[in-house]
This record gives sequence, C-alpha cells and structure tokens, in this order.
Amino acid sequence: MTTIADIPQAKPSRRGSLTLRVGLALLGIHLVLGLLTVFWTPYDPAAMAGGRLSPPSLAHWAGTDRLGRDLMTQIMIGSRIALMVGAGAVVIGALIGVTLGLLAAFATRFLDDVLAAALDILIAFPTLLLAMLVVAASESASLGTAIVALGIALSAIVARLTRILAKRVLAQDYITAARTSGTSWPMVVFKHILPNIWPTLSVNFALQFGLAVIAEASLSYLGLGAPPPNASWGRLLQEAQGTVYTAPLGAILPGIALVILVIGMNFLADGLRDRADPMRGAAR
Amino acid sequence: MTDYPLSSSPARTGRILRRLLAATAVAGMLAASPALAQDAAIDADAVIRIGSLYEPQNLDNTAGAGQGISEAFNGNVYEALFQLTDSGDVVENLATGYEISEDGLTYTITLQPGVTFHSGDPLTSADVKFSIERVTAETSQSSRRNSLANIESIETPDDETVVITLATRSISLPYNLSYVWIVNDAATELTANADGTGPYRLDAWRRGSSLSLTPFENYWGEAPSNGGVVFQYFTDATALNNALLTNAVDIITAVQSPDSLAQFLDNPDFTVTEGQSTTKLLLAYNDRIEPFNNVTVRKALARAVNDEQLLQSIWGEYGTLIGSFVPPTDPWYVDLVDVDAYDPESARELLAEAGYPDGFSFTIDTPNYDPHPIVAQFLQNALAEVGVTVDINIITANEWYTKIYQAQDFEATLQEHVNHRDIVFYGNPNFYWGYDNPDVTRLIQEAEQSATVEEQTEKLAEANRIIAEDAASNWLYLYPQIVVSTASVSGYPINGLNSQFYAYDIEKRAE
Repeated sequence: MTTIADIPQAKPSRRGSLTLRVGLALLGIHLVLGLLTVFWTPYDPAAMAGGRLSPPSLAHWAGTDRLGRDLMTQIMIGSRIALMVGAGAVVIGALIGVTLGLLAAFATRFLDDVLAAALDILIAFPTLLLAMLVVAASESASLGTAIVALGIALSAIVARLTRILAKRVLAQDYITAARTSGTSWPMVVFKHILPNIWPTLSVNFALQFGLAVIAEASLSYLGLGAPPPNASWGRLLQEAQGTVYTAPLGAILPGIALVILVIGMNFLADGLRDRADPMRGAAR
Repeated sequence: MTDYPLSSSPARTGRILRRLLAATAVAGMLAASPALAQDAAIDADAVIRIGSLYEPQNLDNTAGAGQGISEAFNGNVYEALFQLTDSGDVVENLATGYEISEDGLTYTITLQPGVTFHSGDPLTSADVKFSIERVTAETSQSSRRNSLANIESIETPDDETVVITLATRSISLPYNLSYVWIVNDAATELTANADGTGPYRLDAWRRGSSLSLTPFENYWGEAPSNGGVVFQYFTDATALNNALLTNAVDIITAVQSPDSLAQFLDNPDFTVTEGQSTTKLLLAYNDRIEPFNNVTVRKALARAVNDEQLLQSIWGEYGTLIGSFVPPTDPWYVDLVDVDAYDPESARELLAEAGYPDGFSFTIDTPNYDPHPIVAQFLQNALAEVGVTVDINIITANEWYTKIYQAQDFEATLQEHVNHRDIVFYGNPNFYWGYDNPDVTRLIQEAEQSATVEEQTEKLAEANRIIAEDAASNWLYLYPQIVVSTASVSGYPINGLNSQFYAYDIEKRAE
C-alpha cells in the first residue's frame, strides 16, 4: 500500500523548514506566556494595584487599564485563553467535521448529495456569524460556549475537506484490494484513509486554529465571548477603545499579541504543508 | 430602544435642557453684547450640524422610537402644552394659561391662538385631545403612559379650550403634559412623517445617516436663530469625536468618556461645557428575591463598594457621587452620600448578621456597552473583598429590555437611568427592581396628590431618605453631562434634560 509518507524522494526544502521554525517560535512565545499564567502572573489579575491608565513603568511593564489592573498580566492570561480557544475549537471542529466528512464519503449517492449540499450551505455562512448564532442560542455566554460555537462553525470546512480527500482515497485500487482480502470498513478508515488524508488535514487544522483565535477575539469584542474576568484579547481591545487616544498601548498590545499568534499559526501551516507535500516545496 | 424610562443606548447620558451658564457665558460674550461686531458675524442662514449616537428607531414617541426622537423632535418639530426648559422649569408653551378647580381635579387649559401645523391645519382643542389620547392609549409605548393614567376625561367645549378631568389630584400634570407632543389629528403614518407646530419642520430622514429639519415659515413664535439643523448619526463614539475634530459636525450632544475630552480641552477651536446631569448609574437588585429582599444584605453590599474610586476610574475628575436615586437638580434632593458609605469591615459584619458569614454568589446581567462591563468587573473585585462572588453575564440592550425590564428574570443588573424626577419608580412595586416598601409607595402617591409644591417636595424628600436607608438599589454615581462644540456655535442647551436638545437658539458665527 502507499501512503504519502512512503514517498520520500524530495527532502523538505529549506524554506519549508524555516517557515515551520518561525511558526513554532511565534507559537512558542504564547505557549510559554500562557502556560506561565497557570502558575504565576506578575499581579493578581483582579488587583487594582496601579493608578488609572498608568503608562508603562518598571512596576507595570505595559501600564494599567482604567481600573488600575496590570495590562501585562491581562495580556498573558489572554494568551492562555486564545490557546485554549484555538485548541478547543479545532478539536471539536475536527471531531465533528471528520466524522461528517467520512459519513458523506461512504454514504449512498443520495445521502452524499444531501450532506454535501448542507455543508455547502453552512460554508456559505461566515464563521463568525455561525458562532454568533450558536452563542445566541445558548443560555449565557461563557468560554465553553464560545469554544463549542467556534468548533461547530469550523466543522463544516473540515467536513467538506475530509469528504473530498476520503473519496479520492476510496477510489484507489488498494482499498478494493483491502476489502477483498477481508479488511473491515472501520479498519479501512483507520489503517488507510485517515493516515492518507492526515497530512492535508493537519495543515488545515493549523489554519483553522488561527481563524478560531481571531473569531473568538471578535466574539469577545462584541461581548459574546468569554465573560469577564476572563481577559480575552478581544475584550481588552473593546475596553481600550474609548481610551485609545490617551492610553494607546491598551489597544495596541492585545492587537500585537493576536497578530503574533495568528501569523505564527499561518507560518506553521505553511511549513506543515511544505513538509506534507515536498514536491510542491521543491518546485518553487 | 423603546421609550421606557431609562436608556439603553451606548452609555447615554441625560441631556438636560438647561441653557447653561457656561454656554450662555460664551454666548454672552459673543451675542449678549449685541451692538458689537460679533452680532453682525452671526450667520442666520447657517445650518447647524449636530452629531449624536442616538438615531431614532422611528419618528413616533408613542411607538418605541427611543431617546433619539426626543433629542431631535421635542421642542423642535413638536411642541407640547407645557415645556420642560433646559433648567428644569415647566413653562407654558401651546397653553397660554390654565385654571384648576377647587378640588384640584379639573384643569381648564386655554390654547395659544393663531398656531398652525406644518401641514397648514390650524391647532384646535380636538388636536390636543387626540394627542393626549395617543399617549394614554392601550397600544402606546410612551414612558409617561402610567403617569397620565389618572386622566378620566378630556373635553373640548370650544376650539381654544381643553378641559381635563382627573380621577385623583395630580400636582405633576403640567410636567407630565410636557412629554405629550401635540400632533395634528389628521396626520397619518407618524412613524415616518411628522406634523407638529414647532419652529422646524421635518425635511428628510435618511435612515442610518441623518435627519434634517428646516425652519417653518409660519411658526407662531420667534423664528429660529439658524437656518436649520441636521442631526448626523454615528454608531461609534470615536467616529463621532473625529467628526467634530474634522469639522464634519458642529456639536456633540454628550461626550462619553473623559479620555476623548483630552482632544478638545485646551484647544481654542472647541468649547467644552459641563452641565447638570440626571443620569444615574446603579446596580439594581431584584428586591423580590433572596438575599436581596433583606435590607441588611443590601446595606452590606452598598458599604462594600468604594463609589469614589469607581467614579475616578471611569470618569477621572468628572461626575458626582450620589447617595440615592435623586440627583442634586431635583427639588427633593437630600445629600445622602454618607448613608452606607464605603466601609468593607462593617459590610462583612452586616453580612454575618444577615446570616451570610461566608458570603453568597449572584449574577449581574451587564449591558454589553461601555462602561457597564468594566463597572461590573470593579464590583466583582469589590464584592470579592467581602466574600461575595459575582458572575458577570453580558447581554445586549434588547435582551436587557425583555429579560429584565419585561420578564423581571434577574438577580442584579447594571443600568443607567436618564430621566428627571424618576424617584417615583420606587413607588411602583411592579417596577423591574421590585422594591416594595408600603411607606414609600404611600408617600409617593400622597406627594402626587399634594396641594402645594412644598408639600410634594417634603413628601418626596422623605421617600428619598427611606429608599437610601433601605439601600433599595446600589447607586454608584451620577454621570457628568458634557457638550462639546466648535467655538463658532453657541446658544445650545447644555443639560440635555430627558434627552431633549432644543436647537432653535443655536447661533453660528460666519467663518
């Protein structure tokens, strides 16, 4: 049998490994900051320790917000929340999306058409709009509902991709061979289909991670995301909006943190793609 | 939002219509020394561009049009029998005089002669009857519907006379009538059109953008000092500030944060005026349910919050501390700031006394616009200090209206109340916060039936003291009311009482 990993002709290009490394480094910044907050933050996030909108100082590296809370602490907690949202949404999106995609790939022609049409309709809705609908339908906004909402919103894209990839694999002769030799369908899925489509899916997951982080920031900006005291970057941006002339750092820093994480994930996706598809990397 | 008696637009502050001292001082320098060259420089044809965050939902104040319609239309397009001035006085407007019967139940009101509507129809007593009944009708969404519910009948013996008969005495009738637009009884489609008697007629309403008014040629009173006004609507305070900075508007009706003021203070091109506000920010509990039905718990929570620190955090050096629901401009104001002042130690003792030595937890339903979310976090921190856990549930203005105002399904909520003379809400046990003290209900009813203003004031001051001692809600602070304009305009109202913004005296100097 043939899986993509079995075609090792071309070495991953230098460019490929460079983007991968830059992506990992940018993501690493947030991983370190986010994990650190589990054990330690510069200040108690709720402590109104400084003055109103203090500028950066030795005591408060990034200054304070209107209530005198340390901004650096808030941004670090924002890293943790962004990572949780990204990872959570991707896991949920992957579980739902891959399951639906495989179902569609295996389904009878009629069911496949119905599922494909339903997925196309879902994809036509912007991710953020879908997530807002899910949040609105739930009792009250929380970090959990935001993650579930984003996961559901992302699952349609994953499902469509899975369906196409799985169908392509299913058409291969070796699947027929495997079936003829008595391999059960579940074994076919786990031994042949998933390993073959995994490299492409993982690139997609990395991209979806970035999308989920941006969408969560937007939800929080609108007051639909994680409620206070969760210091989501979107909420920090929203709270700093009114003071953007007098204390611009309050809006700029969460923005920079968001950009670093999303660019990092995009580089990572790029690097993964080059690795998964070495021919493409070499062709450049 | 509908015209319920509070605001739900982003951080709205009350615009009290009081022609204010500082503005008049500026106007005074320019216009009150009339013989000087300044006077000649006034451009009587200038169109005044007013920047606002409060676009009306429709054009009818009995159909849930929101506070924006009061801002644009009260006194400008529509007039009432009485007018609430920017300084809070009630003066005759379309009424030239009225007589009250011995028992205080019959008001005979004489109308201003020679008044015509914008459509050309003359004003008659039938129009007045029609207009009042529009507000008291079953389908009316006016916030003053309840206040006028004691009107038993309206008679029109001749074209210039209206006789209103009441079920019980009502000392605030002229005041309440100042909320009733006098509308032509032949007018239709009032949600999209207007036919009033005011100094301006509606020119055009471009939804989502602007509403323009032009002077009405046959106005019965003094013609406006300008050539018309355009209300430009914005959804974002920063965009509105930028519009003023770039001379796209002449006036901002209410500035929303001290930080945006930095751009206008110390800049000779702009005039910043602080007026008298009636906008109160409060943490309202659902007083019907445990533990908020316990006075001791409410007093403890009041003592746990450092209002001064909160006000400083949100408004810097602006704003005023209040000890109850009554702002200093209401006649029944009493300084109650020291009642349940900040004292976390005694807050903990009171909680223990009330049977909550380990505190309790509750949810604050928090409107999603500034400053509510950040205020909720302040309260979350402050109450955590005394062992009380607060969850914050962020909701939209619409949800606030249905969940809290209508369904009364909440534990506590944050809201700003903009209205003038609104202590009467504490006399209504069915109001959303469910405060029910028979003494207060009785005092507020008796105050309304008082024969003299002194008696009314005394009774309401007494009710005011009781609600403060009961810590009926947690009154956090009084917003400042700040109007900013380019230096070339003057004569605008600075208090914005009840969201009104009378435009007819605004003058603009020629550039």
